[in-house]
Amino acid sequence: MNTNSNIYTIIYTTVLVVIVAAILAIVASALKPRQTANVELEQMKSIMLAANIGETNGQPDKKADFKKLYDQHITDTFVIDENGNKVQGVDAFHVDLKSQYNAIKNGGKLTLPVYKCKLDNGEEVTVLPCYGAGLWGAIWGYLSVKADGQTLQGAMFAHASETPGLGGEIAEPWFYNQFDGKTLADAAGAFSSVKIVKGGAGNDRNGVDAISGATITSRSLQNTIEQWMNYYKQILGE
Amino acid sequence: MEKDTYLKPLFKGNPITVLVLGICSSLAVTVQLKGALVMALSVTLVTAFSSLFISLLRNTIPNRVRIIVQLVVVAMFVILIDQALKAFSYDTSKMLSVYIGLIITNCIIMGRIEAFALGNKPWPSFVDGAFNGLGYGMILIIVAFFRELFGSGTLLGFQIIPQSWYIENGGWYANNGLMILPPMALILLGCVVWIHRSIDKELQEQ
Amino acid sequence: MMDYINIFIKSIFVENMVFSFFLGMCSYLAVSKNVKTATGLGLAVIFVLTITLPLNYLLYEYVLKAGALTWLSPNLAGVDLSFLSYIVYIAMIATFVQIVEMFVEKFSPSLYASLGIFLPLIAVNCAILGGSLFMQERGYSNVGEAFTFGLGSGIGWFLAIVAMAAIREKLAYSNVPKPLKGLGLAFIITGLMGIAFMSFMGFQL
Repeated sequence: MNTNSNIYTIIYTTVLVVIVAAILAIVASALKPRQTANVELEQMKSIMLAANIGETNGQPDKKADFKKLYDQHITDTFVIDENGNKVQGVDAFHVDLKSQYNAIKNGGKLTLPVYKCKLDNGEEVTVLPCYGAGLWGAIWGYLSVKADGQTLQGAMFAHASETPGLGGEIAEPWFYNQFDGKTLADAAGAFSSVKIVKGGAGNDRNGVDAISGATITSRSLQNTIEQWMNYYKQILGE
Repeated sequence: MEKDTYLKPLFKGNPITVLVLGICSSLAVTVQLKGALVMALSVTLVTAFSSLFISLLRNTIPNRVRIIVQLVVVAMFVILIDQALKAFSYDTSKMLSVYIGLIITNCIIMGRIEAFALGNKPWPSFVDGAFNGLGYGMILIIVAFFRELFGSGTLLGFQIIPQSWYIENGGWYANNGLMILPPMALILLGCVVWIHRSIDKELQEQ
Repeated sequence: MMDYINIFIKSIFVENMVFSFFLGMCSYLAVSKNVKTATGLGLAVIFVLTITLPLNYLLYEYVLKAGALTWLSPNLAGVDLSFLSYIVYIAMIATFVQIVEMFVEKFSPSLYASLGIFLPLIAVNCAILGGSLFMQERGYSNVGEAFTFGLGSGIGWFLAIVAMAAIREKLAYSNVPKPLKGLGLAFIITGLMGIAFMSFMGFQL
């Protein structure tokens, strides 16, 4: 058979592409539920860790079932627009934070998710997401605010491609645990976002230690938090 | 099968240090040993199976679209690995992000298919692919070992350098931040080549 | 406008394909022995990156992404073909390279003589596929941004290979330890150049 004729080439490639596409489609659809479950579990874990649930001594519990914890502790979820009004009919958990980030940049309509979470001691905290650009790629995270609308219960951050050991440290417990107990207000009680400053923030009421060698990631994170909290401050403390 | 099929890709014909293939996609994953291990394993699997597959098809592939056919087969295996990682080891898949996809253009795979699998029977092709993948993985692991040990003081995430050595805890030691930066991978690789060629003088360039 | 300039400058210097991501290293090391061939390959990479990136962007936005097929029919909103993205990108790149090769060969033999030999090399250049994958990961918001990113990364790669070739031409006359000669030294120099390029980090307009 002449393997160099046009017809043979065309038939060969078509058959090959169809077979490959079929194999991939079968595998992809078989694994899809697991992959979605992984992504959702990751999000639930982040939300729980931000509220310091499922942590022992500040470290995430390896054995904890975050889906179960999430179902137990989250009492209400809703979505607000840029003026702080509730929006009906949007599922907070499935809001794409990236598209919200783009909308914030371009001044579009917003649907910002809010999670109400009940702690083991009966206290209610509000868990709020943020999303922005780090040095290399996206950074995002969750902050949990106590009922007074100022004090942080905790925080949790993650990143797409920051340098491991430098900017990547924002996802490490030592970094995000610093946010526990900080406030979103200055001494006079007016709103003031968290400052991520270099070299020992110590007892500062709204400052945490920046990561040495990762100035840009630290600064981007600070700006991201401020940007999102500026919208959320409208509903805090209500 | 000759012993050379196994040994050559590991040392004398090592894809990275001798043939200069496949450096592209993966040095960025050598900051931590874990990433390097997963990458080494994935590349070995992809090289082995695509060599096998192409070798089975070798007499039927139309010459004009040879490259595209090879790329499609390689891409299929890469997507399978990517999908499997996303489903069963989500953390690793997040860590490797785009670099899994870049296995497709890893020159080792195309290089071995062109140089070996197209002209040999399936089983030797499979072995050749697998050992080239291993030879490549070996270098990745060496580089990652030094980068993680000196850059973070850990191996596979476990603390190796005693905590009491660190300056923060009253000791004298500090992690070498330079090791974490991307360019250090290349400099280490240069050193690996240097050592390899000092031992094996035949490989030296004139 | 500022966004475009930012992406452009960043992709040349800060996110340089060679120095920050080690992409396209194989051809970079193999072809950087003299400035003339390095320039030829560099130009070919700029060309292919600039064209394939927007094309792949359109493919991703209107065919592959979850819910991307809604423009065909609202019933297709649930279709997610993103698992096919690698294969579609690489097929796109390989096909494009082959078509360009045929065109150049037919219509401009002189250009083919200087550029043509590099074109087949480019289909498997990781910098090209890497560009498309980064584009997908970073989620640029329109074709213009994807185009700017493609052009910028191409120029960054071009700069890297030409600079390297110039250094290697001079190195040929240096007295270096024998085992380090050639490849070993090329790695180390690329590493040092990478460290120099890191000073652009955080550069923002």
